[in-house]
Amino acid sequence: MKLEEATAYTAKCFHGEPASCSYACPFHLDIRSFMARAAEGKWSRAYKQLREATVFPLIVSILCDQPCRTRCQRTLLGDEAIAIRDVEAACVRYVKNRKPQSYAIPPKKERIAVVGAGVAGLSCALNLAQKKFNVTVFEKEGTWGGVLRNHDRFAGFAEELELQFSAVKVDFRYNTEITSLEELAEYDAVYIATGEGGESFGLLDSWNPELFTTRENKIFLGGMLTGATLMEGIAQGIVVSKIIEGYLQTGKAALSPDMRYDKNYCGRYLDHEGAVSKPLVAASSPDGYTEEEAKQEAARCLLCDCDKCMVACEMLKRFKKTPKMIAVEVFADTQVNPPFSTRSLTRQAYSCNICGYCKSICPENVDVGSLLQLSRRGRMNDGVHPAALHDFWLREMDFATSEGSYTAAPRGKDSCEYVFFPGCQLGASNPEYVLKTYAYLEQKYACGVMLACCGAPAYWAGDDKRMEDNLQRIRQGWEELGKPVFVFACATCESLFAQFLPEIGRISLYEILAKDDSIVPTQPFAEAAVFDPCNARGDEEMQEGVRKLAEKAGITVEELKEKNRCCGHGGHIRVANPSLYDEIAHNRAAASEKPYIVYCVNCREVFSLKEKKAVHVLDMVFDTGSSDRLPTLQEKRDNSLEVKKKLMASIEGAEFTPEKHAWDDLVLLIDDETQKEMERKLISAGDLKEAIWLAETTGQKFIDESDGMCLASMVKPVITYWVQYREVGPKTYQVHSAYYHRIRIKEEE
Amino acid sequence: MSDKERRWKCGKCSQELVQQKVVFNYLGHTFSHDLPACPDCGQVFISKELAEGRIAELEEELEDK
Repeated sequence: MKLEEATAYTAKCFHGEPASCSYACPFHLDIRSFMARAAEGKWSRAYKQLREATVFPLIVSILCDQPCRTRCQRTLLGDEAIAIRDVEAACVRYVKNRKPQSYAIPPKKERIAVVGAGVAGLSCALNLAQKKFNVTVFEKEGTWGGVLRNHDRFAGFAEELELQFSAVKVDFRYNTEITSLEELAEYDAVYIATGEGGESFGLLDSWNPELFTTRENKIFLGGMLTGATLMEGIAQGIVVSKIIEGYLQTGKAALSPDMRYDKNYCGRYLDHEGAVSKPLVAASSPDGYTEEEAKQEAARCLLCDCDKCMVACEMLKRFKKTPKMIAVEVFADTQVNPPFSTRSLTRQAYSCNICGYCKSICPENVDVGSLLQLSRRGRMNDGVHPAALHDFWLREMDFATSEGSYTAAPRGKDSCEYVFFPGCQLGASNPEYVLKTYAYLEQKYACGVMLACCGAPAYWAGDDKRMEDNLQRIRQGWEELGKPVFVFACATCESLFAQFLPEIGRISLYEILAKDDSIVPTQPFAEAAVFDPCNARGDEEMQEGVRKLAEKAGITVEELKEKNRCCGHGGHIRVANPSLYDEIAHNRAAASEKPYIVYCVNCREVFSLKEKKAVHVLDMVFDTGSSDRLPTLQEKRDNSLEVKKKLMASIEGAEFTPEKHAWDDLVLLIDDETQKEMERKLISAGDLKEAIWLAETTGQKFIDESDGMCLASMVKPVITYWVQYREVGPKTYQVHSAYYHRIRIKEEE
Repeated sequence: MSDKERRWKCGKCSQELVQQKVVFNYLGHTFSHDLPACPDCGQVFISKELAEGRIAELEEELEDK
């Protein structure tokens, strides 16, 4: 992987970049942090920032024409823009020490001439003198200040100039008019800032407004001479000083990246949802703000910085990394060389729901989920993925695409126009969901059926190979059925088809059901909120269909404030980050006090575990009446096989005999508490039966002879399962506990 | 009876368990620890407490690397 591959995902993220006001500011002052400091009365730090950015803070805080205020986002709330200049003036007034710093750097030998002692020339001269260059300023008049000399507050401005130049050595040559550049031939660089209508030595037509260069090597030009405003002139002097410094070191005039500002960004606004309107703080004295007033006014600053995704997403909040930092770490993790260096992003990469919510709320559509998906794929391809984090779901996928799969055209036909794709979990959750839906679709649309997996477990594990193999199987089934339109009950299936199998026509089951006037769904609640799954985002038909069905049932529907948020199931993060999964599920369950209507069985399961009342819309349509008790992992597999068995019998009249295992006949007695623990740990009764059978057949177990308690383990490719049990009857075992570990005991050579 | 009071024996060899050096692998890392095991067949005993405590912590550390 190249760094650019990862950073391309977050290139448009502007978190931490200057705010709109700063882009408008000629000095690009970081107004956001200046205001934050001012609001706390940290005048010393605020002043230091102001001095560094503007060179002459007193002059700027009096004379700036404040283009920043036209880009102040407080105006979006109907308020007046922050009185930025007045807060700056207060900062200059209330800071205790304005004495400029002297820098302990070695003197330079290069000599620079500045022609013109107006503020444009002076800002350049001062900055270069601070860097210990030998600076000579030539001024035809008898003193400095340029156009400011005519200002009625010039005395104050002159004091400011005196103060700011007090810590540097500059050779001022007043009453010295330069008439030819040949007079300056001995200097290593020259900056011409002779003011409006001033002498340009015939170089104006060759002036480069970006680099301030002219056709004459080493001669730079700027300030009001070039049409700049007074403030722009000061700002240019600062930039020119840096360009000259670079030129003297490298012989080339260039802008460094931190000197490039795209003014177009001054229009990049945030929506400031939830921000409260606050009126401008009026100054009680004509001299300006009191210290307290200035702090209050500064506190009105919205500190505009986009952190929408980091505020909204529990995962981003928990890991406290910005999207750009994540992008760099996605790349960096591919470069590690254990044990000398280690990865830093693994847990986070596998803690993302990949729900797309960040992208949906980002003003620039930055998709952190896709970036972390890239990381998962990279780890899988490099063989450095922690396999245990996704093992359970990949095994479920293997089951759904092998023993649990079934594809058929409707009874008596070879092909069909529609095929029902329920997804692997719908029938597992409640066989009636699939059976009743299929009976309806077959009768109404001569619909076929495909029991399979859309590939979500492989997708979320970053397993490209498994994903592609599965897509190939689906494509083949689709072609064999005569390329029918797929009818989806699951938003995740439909969104993955849209992404990976765009050639296949798609329709939502709920859209079909909503259009059928003969359907009158039952009304489980008078009022409910529709919980749209994350993967239904953008699928208007599916969302609309569910709302119409709820409406037909006479339910008053409440819309959630944040739509299409992941219930917690997405991305299969449950093993990688159980506490985060729990936090997300809790937050979603608490998003409304009303019960939920859901149309994703995974959402339903998550809410059921959180004891949040939630009904699947199919329960309302077909009166399937799913109980609040969720099926166990084993029952889910059994349910899937039952669906297949019944569909095969009704479509083909054939009998399906599930694969038989030697341990199937064992009877396990599991109390509720143990069962609950097994579900939490994703341990199925089928795995325990196999482990017990193996132990009893081989004798490979531990035994406590005092009461016949046994402990056995079974090694699967990724996980080692343990079960503590006791035989209580013929082939009947009481399970006392079950647990697992991922480390592997090394077999003796 | 609490799990700590149990006297486990190897179900195959009927031997009392003894502390033995056991080598583990996980995600390319190899490490060893003394654990109860059958002195004859070497079957290693891992308690629930160990699996869900120290081992789980170690697994997480190694996964994060």
